[in-house]
Amino acid sequence: MSAFPSLAFSSMLLPAMPASTVSPPSFVQTLLPAAILAVTAMLLMLTEAFSVSKSRSYQAILAAGASAVAGFLAFQNTQLPAGFILNDRGVADGFSSWITLIACLAAGMSSLLALGFFRQRNAERGEFYALLLFAAAGMSLLAVSNELITLFVNLELMSVATYALAAFWRRGNRSVESAFKYFILGAFASAILIYGVALLYGATGTTQLNLLHTALPNALKTTPWLSWPGLILVLTGLSFKIAAVPLHMWTPDVYEGAPTPVTALMGAGIKAAAFVALVRVVLHVGDSSAVLLHILSFLAAITMVVGNLMAIAQRNVKRMLAYSSIAHAGYILIGVAALFTTSHWGNDVGVLSVTKVATPTIETLRPAALQGILFYLLSYAITVVGAFGVLAAIEKREDDGAADAWDLNRLSGLATRRPGWALAMALFMFSMGGIPSTIGFLGKLYLFKVGISAGLIGLSVLGVLASAAGMYYYLRVIVYMYMKPSPETEIGLRHWSTEFVLAVSAVAVILLGLLPGPLLDWLSQAALFIPN
Amino acid sequence: MIPVTACLLLSAMLFCLGMLGFLLRKNALIVFMSVELMLNAANLAFIGFARVHGDITGHVSVFFVIAVAAAEAAVGLAIIIALYRNRKTLDVDEVRFMKH
Repeated sequence: MSAFPSLAFSSMLLPAMPASTVSPPSFVQTLLPAAILAVTAMLLMLTEAFSVSKSRSYQAILAAGASAVAGFLAFQNTQLPAGFILNDRGVADGFSSWITLIACLAAGMSSLLALGFFRQRNAERGEFYALLLFAAAGMSLLAVSNELITLFVNLELMSVATYALAAFWRRGNRSVESAFKYFILGAFASAILIYGVALLYGATGTTQLNLLHTALPNALKTTPWLSWPGLILVLTGLSFKIAAVPLHMWTPDVYEGAPTPVTALMGAGIKAAAFVALVRVVLHVGDSSAVLLHILSFLAAITMVVGNLMAIAQRNVKRMLAYSSIAHAGYILIGVAALFTTSHWGNDVGVLSVTKVATPTIETLRPAALQGILFYLLSYAITVVGAFGVLAAIEKREDDGAADAWDLNRLSGLATRRPGWALAMALFMFSMGGIPSTIGFLGKLYLFKVGISAGLIGLSVLGVLASAAGMYYYLRVIVYMYMKPSPETEIGLRHWSTEFVLAVSAVAVILLGLLPGPLLDWLSQAALFIPN
Repeated sequence: MIPVTACLLLSAMLFCLGMLGFLLRKNALIVFMSVELMLNAANLAFIGFARVHGDITGHVSVFFVIAVAAAEAAVGLAIIIALYRNRKTLDVDEVRFMKH
């Protein structure tokens, strides 16, 4: 990681670019993408109130356009040095800009998917796209938060918008049930999180993450009865949002019942935003005790294993992808655990023990781990949007009540009827499974490499084994598409916007898988805020 | 003057009651009320700790939590109404259209 000389500047690392001439981004620059998303969302609600024309297709285009503009601005921010904004309440760094970019990507792609999806069902409404953009603005602001109350409010901005999105088919059984489960469990998790924040505030007297970083080790000694429950409650609330295993039960039902474009947003955007919240918090609290490293490694291990095993048993493709998203959260947790191994060498917990390896120091390991997490989140976002896009395309209008709505049989013979869709789906499945020459393979490669160089050898081996087991259910989808005879039932209609999304994600999956150079350069130039 | 400890104990009790209510009760509205109880327990804890530390962060946090709880209630109650219209029941055990 020669790209990261330790130019210490008030406890953060700056990249080797001309940092002396470029100043850190102002708060206007950092918050502009979120502001564009929020203002467009309000505009969309106004169009819904005042529009006289019947045609509403422009709303999706407007939403996608706003996401594209916001994403472009966020991309420009990725190359700026890191710095605090808004009186240290926010932090602008490469991590927040990249997550904003992923959020914009997810929102733009999902609104294009929704254009075709809802048009064919005569259900186009402006508030759908408004809620989508509000959720994306929440994700972007969540990535900027450096303070626990800000983090809570933005997490809720994102979640409340998504509860409403999941309930968008308000007359459909599945949609309402999915929204209800998501809402009631999400509200429970938020309440746990905010009580944990209150306890941490009581123990340390601050809710600001960088102050918590200095105050917490002392507080764990003087008031353990306050700070430990606080820490555990905060981590529990965040583990729910990323769907780590003991708290994953909502995921399959919510993913299955929500309208498919919303599921795409959940898989791509919400997962990434929840991870950035988790990473930001554990970066500041994780050094204080080795127990947290053990908890994170244990969570990673059971999340990978349970996610993959449950996915194998599914015939319902949408549920299968939901369990697979749990498994992917497990792989990313390896990267999160790798952030702390240098602080706690040689802590034995059986197969998950940390082996002392010679190479890394905290200055090289943390940027590498954060880049690994970012690359994985980006690769997963691109792939999962495409995969749910195919499911949205083959879905039929009357499917809501059907028990076999997304059964594997629906994919039978897709290669002969819609060769383009089948090819794209095959690529997405290869990428999720981690077949070389796709972006998903590189994501896994970097993450497991970081895990091994961080000394988490047992955990990384477990990750490789789990993803090998996962190949079974990804390949099964391809077998059904290419080797089963096609049934004589009708299949979803074509729409240019859906096919555009499929084409863009498929090209990105293969192109970035073969030529990841520029992306890796951009990621390694991103200035990452790392407390030391 | 009421000691801060009493305030914090009450908050901890409310939080535990809310959690128990969430896990044990079957009516969707009561489950939702239990979540609100947990949020208000957090508010009480914030106020108590603000007095201990003598700073204003705790007071400000309470306003944010109240606002978020209101937004959550607006969307949540709408979802519960939609659920009732579909199923004619509010029993959370009956909400299992989707099978594993």
